Amino acid sequence: MIEDDLRAAFARHEPLTPPTGPLRAAIDRLVARRRQRRRRWQTGGAALALLGVLGIGVPLLTPERAGPPPTADLLGGSSRPAPTGALNILLLGLDGEGPEASRSDALLLVHIPADRGRPYLVSLPRDLGVPIPGHGTDKLNAAFPFGAGFSRPQAAKGYELTRRTVTELTGVRVDAGVVLTYSTVRTLTDTMGGVPVCLPEQVRSVHTKRVFPSGCQRLGGAAAVDLLRQRYGLPNGGQDRDRNARLFAAGLLRQAADQGVLTDPVRLARLLAAVGPDLVVSPDRAAALDLLRLVPALRSVEPVGLGLPVVESEGPAWYLRLDPQRAPEFLTALREDRLDDWTARHPKRVDAVR
Amino acid sequence: MTYEEFADTRLAPLLRYAVMLTGDPHQAQDLVQETMVRVQLNWRRVARADSPERYVRRMLTNQYVDWKRGSWMRRVLLRGEPDESVPAYADHAQSAVDRDQIWSWLSRLPRRQRATLVLRYYEDLPDAEIAEILGCAVGTVRSSISRALATLRAEYVEVRS
Repeated sequence: MIEDDLRAAFARHEPLTPPTGPLRAAIDRLVARRRQRRRRWQTGGAALALLGVLGIGVPLLTPERAGPPPTADLLGGSSRPAPTGALNILLLGLDGEGPEASRSDALLLVHIPADRGRPYLVSLPRDLGVPIPGHGTDKLNAAFPFGAGFSRPQAAKGYELTRRTVTELTGVRVDAGVVLTYSTVRTLTDTMGGVPVCLPEQVRSVHTKRVFPSGCQRLGGAAAVDLLRQRYGLPNGGQDRDRNARLFAAGLLRQAADQGVLTDPVRLARLLAAVGPDLVVSPDRAAALDLLRLVPALRSVEPVGLGLPVVESEGPAWYLRLDPQRAPEFLTALREDRLDDWTARHPKRVDAVR
Repeated sequence: MTYEEFADTRLAPLLRYAVMLTGDPHQAQDLVQETMVRVQLNWRRVARADSPERYVRRMLTNQYVDWKRGSWMRRVLLRGEPDESVPAYADHAQSAVDRDQIWSWLSRLPRRQRATLVLRYYEDLPDAEIAEILGCAVGTVRSSISRALATLRAEYVEVRS
């Protein structure tokens, strides 16, 4: 009987139910607002990548990783101070569109000196033979697939093993990292309206029929990716390709600076939204705010490009190895933030950027 | 199924269910709104469930059971004016009092107990499914229903005597 009364009471109160129309509209409005907030946050993540590419640093892995709350306005103030000290950002360019079966064929360590002078772009040759934690000695670019795994590759894990390998190789703490795929580079380049690159010699693509003349030219996204893939036929193979990657990164930076993108938050946000959530940033996206606040502190956006000093290995397996004469001195300078001294003493090892 | 298709057919029943849970159209709207915003934002995950409908009902029930009192009690208590959306009944006086009584007794039950009553006597779900929605054992469902019914019966006896 009480059960029947209950059923009756419920049924009687059904007319209390309000119409669904206004509710549904309210739900959609709220969802749109939260998505926008989320997007803005992802944009922040992309900002990390762009500025990473551009050679502008990020402070991360500070003892407390607590960033500002996710609702914080991208352009608003945050309670965390802007980072100080030298910063190192690891950029991995994947040989493919995603983590699947990809090797990290371009490894670039971006060093931002503590005095916020010119950033350094240091290429780490992918063919360098290095101890990879847990995997013996192999080429540097193998760290990514070893870490990512083979059945269901995860870019974040591939990055992590690469980061540990690089840290053990160089003795440098890596503060942040970005993993870029072909499509990320393509989108970024196209959204910037192309990137100027000055090549010291002609490059002929073996993948397409494209020929990049020596001298300065403006590359669109597809051409940029094409150029970054070329190493056959270059006088120094992979090392020339690394140099081209540095020239490209420097051109990208110059382009962004010329357009005023770096100091215009609205344009920066628009550009970064175009790159989208495609890329992996480490340790997390929450770092983007700090990054943006670093921009005004930079005294120069004209990077210095150079390669880690390596020599051909006498042994088998086509590994490169660290140059026993020059590498220790170079790595010490990198660790101690004295690369300006080092480049002054070794001007020939620095790219002619223009 | 897309979110739109889901909302087309399921929003009204969910809202009715929320009215039964909360006993108040405004709270029901808030409850459904909060749940459905999360549903839409995470639609891919919801759509992967064996039964999105059951999954969402479970989300909504949990939201109701865990709802922090402060967030909506305040709003409701501050809303002083009489509620026009409550239909007036043309029944004779005594019966109307009885009816309102059982409805108001319901509001004094712990939320989990009320949820079990709604699921069994309004939604007519089997105990096993109620247990799944509430994330507890079937035995717990039965005992909380019998406890809720006992409370209501005790009220009855008090009024009638």
